Amino acid sequence: MSAYFIRRFLLIIPTFLGVTIIVFTITRLVPGGPLERQIMQFRMAAASGESGHTGGGNVTDPTSTIPEGALEEMKKAFDLDKPGYVAYFLWLKKVIKLDLGKSYSTKEPVWDMIKQRFPISIMFGLTGFVLAYLLSVPLGILKALKHGSHFDFASSAIVFLGYSIPGWALGALLLVFFASGRFYDVLPLGDIKTGSYQDLPEFVKSNDSEEDVSDDFGQFEWEKLSFFSKVIDTSYHMFLPVLCYTIGSFATLTMLMKNSLMENMGRDYIRTAFAKGLSPYRVVLIHALRNSLIPLATGLGHAISIIMAGSYLIESVFNIDGLGYLGFTSLVGRDYTVVMGILTVNTILTLLGNILSDVLYALIDPRIRFE
Amino acid sequence: MTLKKSASPQQLRWRRFKRLKRGYYSFIILFTLYLLSFLLPFLVNNRAIVVKYNDKYYFPGLVNYVHDTFNLGLANIYLADEFNQTGENDDPLFGEANYRLLSSQFEEESGDNYVIMPPVPFNPIENFLSLDGNPPHSPSSIHWFGTDDSARDVFARLAYGFRISISFALMITFISYFFGIIVGAFLGFYGRWFDILGQRLVEIWGAIPFLYTVIILSAVFSPSFILLVVIMSIFSWMGITYYIRGEFYREKTKDYVSAAIVTGENNLTIMFRHILPNALTPIITFAPFAIVGSIASLVALDFLGFGLPVPTPSWGEILKQAKASLRDWHLAVFPLVAMFVTLQLIVFIGEAVREAFDPKVFSRLR
Repeated sequence: MSAYFIRRFLLIIPTFLGVTIIVFTITRLVPGGPLERQIMQFRMAAASGESGHTGGGNVTDPTSTIPEGALEEMKKAFDLDKPGYVAYFLWLKKVIKLDLGKSYSTKEPVWDMIKQRFPISIMFGLTGFVLAYLLSVPLGILKALKHGSHFDFASSAIVFLGYSIPGWALGALLLVFFASGRFYDVLPLGDIKTGSYQDLPEFVKSNDSEEDVSDDFGQFEWEKLSFFSKVIDTSYHMFLPVLCYTIGSFATLTMLMKNSLMENMGRDYIRTAFAKGLSPYRVVLIHALRNSLIPLATGLGHAISIIMAGSYLIESVFNIDGLGYLGFTSLVGRDYTVVMGILTVNTILTLLGNILSDVLYALIDPRIRFE
Repeated sequence: MTLKKSASPQQLRWRRFKRLKRGYYSFIILFTLYLLSFLLPFLVNNRAIVVKYNDKYYFPGLVNYVHDTFNLGLANIYLADEFNQTGENDDPLFGEANYRLLSSQFEEESGDNYVIMPPVPFNPIENFLSLDGNPPHSPSSIHWFGTDDSARDVFARLAYGFRISISFALMITFISYFFGIIVGAFLGFYGRWFDILGQRLVEIWGAIPFLYTVIILSAVFSPSFILLVVIMSIFSWMGITYYIRGEFYREKTKDYVSAAIVTGENNLTIMFRHILPNALTPIITFAPFAIVGSIASLVALDFLGFGLPVPTPSWGEILKQAKASLRDWHLAVFPLVAMFVTLQLIVFIGEAVREAFDPKVFSRLR
C-alpha cells in the first residue's frame, strides 16, 4: 500500500504544475493586469500634479507623461518583458526555493504576508471545524438511537436549515441582529480584537483598568491586557464567525453520523453483543460507535480545504484580515504575485489533505486496501 | 384474464417520491412559484395589465412581456399623450405613461376609463426618489419590504431575482452536467491510458479554485447573464464526471453491453443509448444539490460585486448593500429569508429524490 501513497505523492507534482500554469496563463492573458493599473495610477498622479500647477486648464497627451524608461522598468518588474513560459519558469524556480516573490502593491514578501495571516484563518476555521464535530457526533448518535421520534424530527428541521444556509449568509443576518445596534449591540461587528478601551466588553473593563492597558500617551494597547482578558476579548470577537464556520459542516456531519450509526446498529455483530447480555450503552458507545466514526474520521483530512474554501466569504463579512480576505483583496487589486502565492499554498495543502484523509481511512479501517 | 402491466423502475421511483410528502409538496410549491415567476410582468410591474381609454383597450404589460421578462428587444411604450395623461397643474405629461398616476386620474375623472394595475405596481429597476427621506427606506404599507439604496422596491427586486436565480442555477446545472456526462462517459467506457490521462486533467481543472477564477474573469469582462452562466459552467462540470465514470466502469462489464457489442452497435450508441439510462441515478440525485450550490454561488458572487451586471435584480446585490449599512435590517433579512426558503425547498426535494432512488431500510434490533 505504501507504493500507492508514494504514487499519490508523486501525482501532486503534475497537478500542482497544471493548476499553476492555468491560473498563471489567465492572469497574463486577461487584460487590466497590474501593468495597466500602474500606468493608470501614474497618469492620474501626473494629471492631478499638472492640473495643480496650471490650474487645470492644460490638457496633455496622457502617454507623454510616462517616461520612456519607466514603462520598460515596470514591465521588467512584473516579468512582462519576457514571454509567458519564461516568466512562469522564473516564478517556478523561485517557488522551489520557497520564495513567492513580492507583492506588487505593498512590496512586502508574499511569504511573510501569508505567514502573518495563516494563524488567524486557522484559528477561526479550526475552532469552527472542531466545534462542528463536537456538536454533530453526539447529536447524530441521539438522532440514530431515537430514529423516528419527535426529537429526531425536530432536530432534523435544524439540521436541514444548516444545509440551506451558507455560513457567510448566516453571518450577515447575525450581524444585523446582534451587532448593528438596530436590534442589539452585544457583539462586535468584526475584526479579531477590540481597537479602543471603550469598546471592550464590560467584563474585561472591570478586570483591567484603563491606565493599566494604555501606553505613556494614553493610547489603548491590546497587548497589555491580562491573559484572561485577552481570552475573553478574543472569544467575544470569535463567537459569530466561528458559529458561521460551524454551520458549514454541521449538517453534513450530523446526518453522516446518524446514517452511519444506524447502518451499524443493524449488523450481526451488534445482535451478538446484545445477545451476550452487554448493556445497551456499551453496545452503542463501544461496539457500534467505533465503526460508525470511520466515515467521519476521514473527513478530518479535508479540514484544511474546507477551512480555506469557506473562509474568504466569512472573512469579508466579518472584516477578518485572514488568508481568504487577503486572497480576495489581492484578486480585486490585481496583485497577482499574492494571488499566485496563496494559490500555491492552498493547492499544496488541499492535495496533501486529500492524501491525508486516505491515509487516515486506511489506518483506521484495516479492511480498506488501496492499490 | 388481463395482465396488469408492471411498473417500470422510473414509475416506481416517481410513486415513491410522491409518497414522501415533504419533498413532494416542496416540489409542487417550487415548481408553481417558478412557473408563476414567468408571469411577473403581470404581477409585479409598473406597466398596467389593461387600460381602457375612450372605448379602446390597451395591454401595456402584454406588449412588453418579452422585454420585461427576458430583458430582450425594445420596450413598446405608450406615451402619456396617448391617454391624455396630465401631470401637476394639468400640464400634459411627456414620455411613457405613468400607469399608477393614470389610474387615479381616471378615477377622479369618474368616466368609463379605467386602469387595471398588477397587484404590486412597481418595477424592479424603477427608482422611487420622491419618497420622504433618504434611501434605503424602511418597509411601509406601500413598499412592503422597503427600498434599497437606489430607492428601488425590494419586494419587486426579490421577486424578479427569484426567477433569475433559479433559471441561472438550472442552466448551469444543465450545461455542466451535459459536459460532465460526456467526459465521464468517455473516461469510464474507454478506460486504460485514456482514463488515467483524462482523470489527471479533470483533477487539475477541479483543483483550480472556482470562485477565484470566476472573479478574475468577471472582473475583466463584466459579464452578461449568459456569459456568467458559461464562465460558471466551465468550472463546475468536474464533480459529476467521477460518478458517471464509476457507473460506466460498472455497467460496461454487464451482459447487455456485451450483447450490444456483439450485435455490432457502434460505441456511441452503446454509451449513450444503452449504458447512460442505467447510469442516471447519481445525476438525478445530485442535481438538486448542484442547484443549491449554484444559487449560493450566484448570491455570493453578487454579494462580492462580481456577479450579474448592475441593474439586474439580484439577491446578492441587496445583501451587498446590507453589508454597507447594517442598520437597514430589511436589506439583509428579506433577501436572506428568500434565499433560505428557496434553498430549503430544493434541499427537501433533493432529500426526497435521494430517498426515492435509493431507499435505505435500516433493520433495527431495538
